[in-house]
Amino acid sequence: MTFEVDEKPRTLMTDCQVIKNFLRKIIMVHPKIRFNFNVKVNGILSTEIFGIENEPTLNLSNGIALVVNYQHYVRPKFGTTESRCSRIHPVLGHPVTLFIPDGVAGVDLLGELILTPAAALCPSPQVFSNQLNKISSVSIFLYGPSGLPLILSSQEHPITTVFKDIFYFIDWKKYHLCMVPNLDVNLDRDLVLPDMSYQVESSDRNQSQNMDPQGVTLLLFLFVDFHSGSPVQQMEMWGVYTLLTTHLSAILVKSHSRVQDSIQFTVDQVLAQHHQAAKAHQKLQGSLLVAVNSIMSIVTGSTSSSFRKMCLQALQAADTQEFGTKLHKAFHGITQHRFLRHCSCEAKQQLSPEKKDAAHSTEDTHENSSPELTAEPSGQAENKRLKRGSLRQGVEEMRALHSARAPSPSEAAPCGPEPPAASLAPSGREARAAHGRVPAPGRTSSGSDLEDALWLQEVSNLPRLLLRGQPLRLEERAAQVRGLRALREPAPPRGGAVGEAGAGRGRGRADRRRPQTPLNFLPLGRDHPAVIKRRFTSVLVVSSLSPLCVLLWRELTGIQVRWRQSKGPRGRELRGLLGEGATLMPPFLWLSQAHPCSP
Amino acid sequence: MAFAPMGPEASFFEVLDRHRASLLAALTRGGKESLGGVARLASSSEVLASVENIIQDIIASLARNEAPAFVIDNRSSWENIKFEDSVGLQMVSHCTTRKIKSDSPKSIQKFALILKILSMIYKLVQSNTYATKRDIYYTDSQLFGNQTVVDNIINDISCMLKVPRRSLHILSTSKGLIAGNLRYMEEDGTKVNCTCGVTAVAVPSNIQGIRNLITDAKFLLIVEKDATFQRLLDDNFCTKMSPCIMVTGKGVPDLNTRLLVKKLWDTFHIPVFTLVDADPHGIEIMCIYKYGSMSMSFEAHNLTVPAIRWLGLLPSDIKRLNIPKDSLIPLTRRDQMKLDSILKRPYVTCQPFWRKEMEIMTDSKMKAEIQALTFLSSDYLSRVYLPNKLKFGGWI
Repeated sequence: MTFEVDEKPRTLMTDCQVIKNFLRKIIMVHPKIRFNFNVKVNGILSTEIFGIENEPTLNLSNGIALVVNYQHYVRPKFGTTESRCSRIHPVLGHPVTLFIPDGVAGVDLLGELILTPAAALCPSPQVFSNQLNKISSVSIFLYGPSGLPLILSSQEHPITTVFKDIFYFIDWKKYHLCMVPNLDVNLDRDLVLPDMSYQVESSDRNQSQNMDPQGVTLLLFLFVDFHSGSPVQQMEMWGVYTLLTTHLSAILVKSHSRVQDSIQFTVDQVLAQHHQAAKAHQKLQGSLLVAVNSIMSIVTGSTSSSFRKMCLQALQAADTQEFGTKLHKAFHGITQHRFLRHCSCEAKQQLSPEKKDAAHSTEDTHENSSPELTAEPSGQAENKRLKRGSLRQGVEEMRALHSARAPSPSEAAPCGPEPPAASLAPSGREARAAHGRVPAPGRTSSGSDLEDALWLQEVSNLPRLLLRGQPLRLEERAAQVRGLRALREPAPPRGGAVGEAGAGRGRGRADRRRPQTPLNFLPLGRDHPAVIKRRFTSVLVVSSLSPLCVLLWRELTGIQVRWRQSKGPRGRELRGLLGEGATLMPPFLWLSQAHPCSP
Repeated sequence: MAFAPMGPEASFFEVLDRHRASLLAALTRGGKESLGGVARLASSSEVLASVENIIQDIIASLARNEAPAFVIDNRSSWENIKFEDSVGLQMVSHCTTRKIKSDSPKSIQKFALILKILSMIYKLVQSNTYATKRDIYYTDSQLFGNQTVVDNIINDISCMLKVPRRSLHILSTSKGLIAGNLRYMEEDGTKVNCTCGVTAVAVPSNIQGIRNLITDAKFLLIVEKDATFQRLLDDNFCTKMSPCIMVTGKGVPDLNTRLLVKKLWDTFHIPVFTLVDADPHGIEIMCIYKYGSMSMSFEAHNLTVPAIRWLGLLPSDIKRLNIPKDSLIPLTRRDQMKLDSILKRPYVTCQPFWRKEMEIMTDSKMKAEIQALTFLSSDYLSRVYLPNKLKFGGWI
């Protein structure tokens, strides 16, 4: 899918961030989907791939495969990645049927809307650590039918709806938490942005000095799905989605009590886990203290100088005080090292009681969570081969003829043994992934077609949504190019797509002749020497080889290339297609410098 | 002796005397000098050195960045217990062990509690003071949780250090009673005379410290229940059957009661008889006195009296005495399971008469308490049953 936009650079960057966040939210619940997101600005093409590979997922009983690597949701605190469980442990709540208000026009559903909440603490509570983790923020993620993220209309924006009232669905007072909406959400390219965020202002002023300043984030996923006795038609599914995007608040208000019960129960379960983890932590600390004090009592009370001397020498302590400190440190060190393997990942997944029978597969999957088991038997060969690596967002210039480098090791500390580094995928696979259809995991073929259609329709409507003045809360941050992790798979050949996009002022249009044709996007880049060097190299290569590629594409497809020239004062805006990349480098560089989010 | 009250005539004890002679002959044939055969107690310095060695090992493990662990024998496993007729149940030399690790979330707390009690033992031995297990529990009841935890850890430490519990300066609270022809002096110099009428003397806490034991008793009667013991006291049994000694552990005996029985046997070699209910529980209690318990098998040499004989109430007595069936109680499923368990124990094989009695009980599916004899007459136990049993050798 290709479309052309004509926007100011700042607007383009912001809109692209919205799109990217949307894609991220999709792959969080559909990890088998990969998006190639390409942007060409004045002939400079950059590619970003959104996909999940070899990361732990949890199959929820509502059919959603949720990525449970916590680093997608919160930024890991410095120095803590190795001492934390790398996964979140969602707790699924009771599914509840939503009532549709009578006043909602145009609703003629032959089924029912089911809301299923899921909650998790992110990162998972550290049981075996010096620090206690308390909740510092809450993030809410809204998903519609088939796991499609809900893009709410401006009237339905969370800040103006029921979500604005923090007590509407969850009684925070019982946890002694004071929540306030967090309106200052910085867009982080590496994280999935929530639909609504709250900050905790603890009512307990006497917090321990050992409190983790970052705390943990309570993630609340609200999945709204549509269930019908008969096969759901595409239009009906789209109608449901539209209903949710335009009337979610009213629907939730209508179903307030049951929604509140379900969400409250789910949050109670998660926080009970947190409480148990805190208790286990206290118990461990208490046991270590008893052990150390007992040994100290014997050593300091002994009348045998040789015994005391040997004890001090063993820990290389000068006196008993230092001995006590080193003893405590030694105990803590061995327990920390050993207990990392006993994190909550090995505990049984807690699901709501009503779902326990139905979710045996979920529990089993969680206990044995591994990349192999998260692979659905979709029968897609390329999906099975996508088993290595982690979520990557490579910022690359177009490399039509380059195979990607091997990825750098995942930054996450997985729960359990490290997954082996994978080999590169052949470029042919990339082409297949680009042009083939990747059905939704775990669904029937008809369901997957329906979902594809729904997504295509939604993604194609993105420009319309973006350009009709939808308020965006996103801010551009300084671009931190993570393109040091290069793509493994080469970018798909784009000769055909590039050559076909047409001009359009103020409007974007979707080209549906080739579904899944990637969008072209040039992200912001930091002036890192390595990045600049790579970009220069790739531009040089592209500009040198692009005429050859066009010629080859022309010969193979017989399609003629139309060239457009920039006009007047809007010459800096995106317009048209190909140009020689090298000749357009200076304007592009100026654009990137002038953008408010550039460093 | 001058202070011995009047009892039956000397001919009454002929069978008892012959029995005692046979016991002494068996001891002599066994080549064992059981007089003073109580195991040597570990000295205080030995105990302190043992504890220090343990601490050293722990610190050395930590210095190597290895998680320290305690290795403890599995005391409560039948596979680690063997039976010897002369001793009873005792632990095998190479028994299975279990590790209490410091880096396991399940065992870190027990690891810490073991260290805590070790440090307390260290202080007690250093200061030459004593404490009971209950005292230790109350030093930090919240930390320990319950008394059973403390008891098990103390036994584990005793087994780990291979010293008797009293060497750790930890005493158990006595609950037993003793009455009859016995005098002794406690460690602090207190003179105790168990010869009394209707009152009994509590079994002392420091059995090891008892000195100057003096008795003329012809036999020692171990009574299972306190109710029966009191009944015999009320009937003035000690006077009627003088000279004799009666002991009760009030059910499952505590360590001090067992130690006292062992000490009396080792000192005087007088016949020891048990008077228990004709039910599986009573038989098991009798086996504890005679052969020891699984949990204390590591200290069997100090606790068991294999020479004990079963005086009553025998299941065969029920039929022989025509005890009314109304006074009998059907065996419960739990009783049957316990009875089956006892029949499978290694020591029953060398007691064919006991096995036969238990088979009678199994066949009749009935049990009886000693109080069933009161259906014959209120003082039948002390006036008829026991005297006849003792006079005519009705023990097995």
